[in-house]
Amino acid sequence: MNTRPPGARCLPLPLKLSLSLLMSLLMSLAMSPLVAAQAPAQAAAQPADTQWPALQQAYFPGKTLEPAPFIHLTAPTRAPSGDQVPFAFSIDHPMQENRFIKSVRVFVDGNPVPLTAAFHFTPHSGKAAIATRIRLESDSPVHVVAEASDGRLYVNTVHVKASGGCSGPATGDDAAARASAGKIKLALDGPYKAGALNQATLLVRHPMNTGLQRDPFTHGFRPAYFIDKVAVTYNGKPVLTADTAIGVSENPSIRFGFVADRPGTLQVLVHDNEGASYRQSMQVGG
Amino acid sequence: MRRAFRGIVLLALAAAVHAAAAPLPVRQVAPGVWVHLGRHKDFEQGYDGDIANIGFVIGNEAVAVIDTGGSYAVGASLKEALRALTRLPVRYVINTHGHPDHVFGNAAFLDANGAAEAPPQFIGHARLPAMLAVRGERATRQLRQQLGPAAERSRLVAPGRTVQDRLLLDLGGRQLVLRAWPSAHTDNDLTVYDSATRTLWTGDLLFIERTPSVDGDVAGWLAAMAALDTLPAAETIPGHGPVTRDKHGALASQGRYLNALLRDVRASIRQRQDMTAAMRSAAVAERGRWQLFDLVNPRNVNRLYPVLEWE
Repeated sequence: MNTRPPGARCLPLPLKLSLSLLMSLLMSLAMSPLVAAQAPAQAAAQPADTQWPALQQAYFPGKTLEPAPFIHLTAPTRAPSGDQVPFAFSIDHPMQENRFIKSVRVFVDGNPVPLTAAFHFTPHSGKAAIATRIRLESDSPVHVVAEASDGRLYVNTVHVKASGGCSGPATGDDAAARASAGKIKLALDGPYKAGALNQATLLVRHPMNTGLQRDPFTHGFRPAYFIDKVAVTYNGKPVLTADTAIGVSENPSIRFGFVADRPGTLQVLVHDNEGASYRQSMQVGG
Repeated sequence: MRRAFRGIVLLALAAAVHAAAAPLPVRQVAPGVWVHLGRHKDFEQGYDGDIANIGFVIGNEAVAVIDTGGSYAVGASLKEALRALTRLPVRYVINTHGHPDHVFGNAAFLDANGAAEAPPQFIGHARLPAMLAVRGERATRQLRQQLGPAAERSRLVAPGRTVQDRLLLDLGGRQLVLRAWPSAHTDNDLTVYDSATRTLWTGDLLFIERTPSVDGDVAGWLAAMAALDTLPAAETIPGHGPVTRDKHGALASQGRYLNALLRDVRASIRQRQDMTAAMRSAAVAERGRWQLFDLVNPRNVNRLYPVLEWE
């Protein structure tokens, strides 16, 4: 993991940045262990703050991101480990039919795959707010970019100190983790509130292997194996859709909101990168 | 030119580390049983590689080293202390588990018997090699960040011989009983019992003063503690903290903390209190009894909470 591509340290900074970015993009397209092996050293080789301009340019070319203190972020200044860093955002913005936050992207700048998750909301979400747990490979800023229905883009950021989350231990028994993958727990975080914003927490059992973790027996890398999609509906209407990547922690926990206009069914569909789908539903109210 | 210069500096540094290995202070806690007590420092605040209890047992024919400290330099200093006491060969280097503060000094013992004699046998739990393989690269990288030049020559040496259940080692006139435990503090804990003096080395199955850190299975740990409680030990050497004759009391203190941790994290999950809140509130009743509590306890919650959610 400490092997740096020869000569990389001698490159001028802008070139290094674009190399790192290219690496990230390549990785999100095809997570080959060979590419994966080099990425953490790349990420560690540069101060995390310098990576955002290139990320912004790659994901939002030519766009203006407006600083938005109304994007509230909750994260520890120093996390006890990079494996399970509690992270939450809550956006004070209308969620009406004609004006709402339609998506929120979470970037951990210093991670081998910075785009950790994209959450898509609807007016039925009630609030663009998520609490989850993420991985940090090194101390890093976390950028949260919200896109409103009118196309405006908002950004806020928080610095978190933590390390080792992406290459870190998958000490557990891989076969057992695979066998139990897809178990789902879904529950309301309080009594049902008719016609109002309710909150629920979704827990999914899944190893979320990053592709950067060593297998203790083969000494190679365990292939990436992670949940890439979560879709939640209430009475058939979408309330949350999420594109998730390897920066989401093992056994993902996602707390989200939805408006329950009347009693009904909360339904969850979870999909992973090996093509498996898992479903769960629960009755709400009534 | 620059590379050559750097090479020279590195060589000089390495030589300095080698030559400057002043013997570690060690204390004889029972005839032939020597311990160096590490200090209670955290990995993130002033870590110097010398925080764990390490030492050796001298028999009539050979020596067994039990844990080697958190860097080559610490291991080398332990070796100097050993060599000031005996010229007998170091036949075994035993690791009580794979945490960095206990194993990074291993490399200093590869040449403990000189070039003419066989090197020591490195011994650990059957699951120790897996832990070293999975965490080795990251642990080595972190050690370099933490110690800088003082990490020089530190590297992991995996055991050549492993213990599934029990193993008897003969040092001449005294036998060591090694026992491998199911997942407890880590998934690769090993205890060492010297029958001649009835001294028990618990490794990190027992913490005294320093907040116990969880990296395995708390229920398994409590079960291992119950078994350790029944062992007839005169002196007990914990992984961290002072040597004690009151094994029962020390185990009871640790049990009280671990049970409080378990109970409070479970209660938080049941009450749908999130992990961040639990990291602040769990086991706070124990706060005044332990050192480094505000660093280690949240880490324990951070590790336990996501596991206990699935009970």
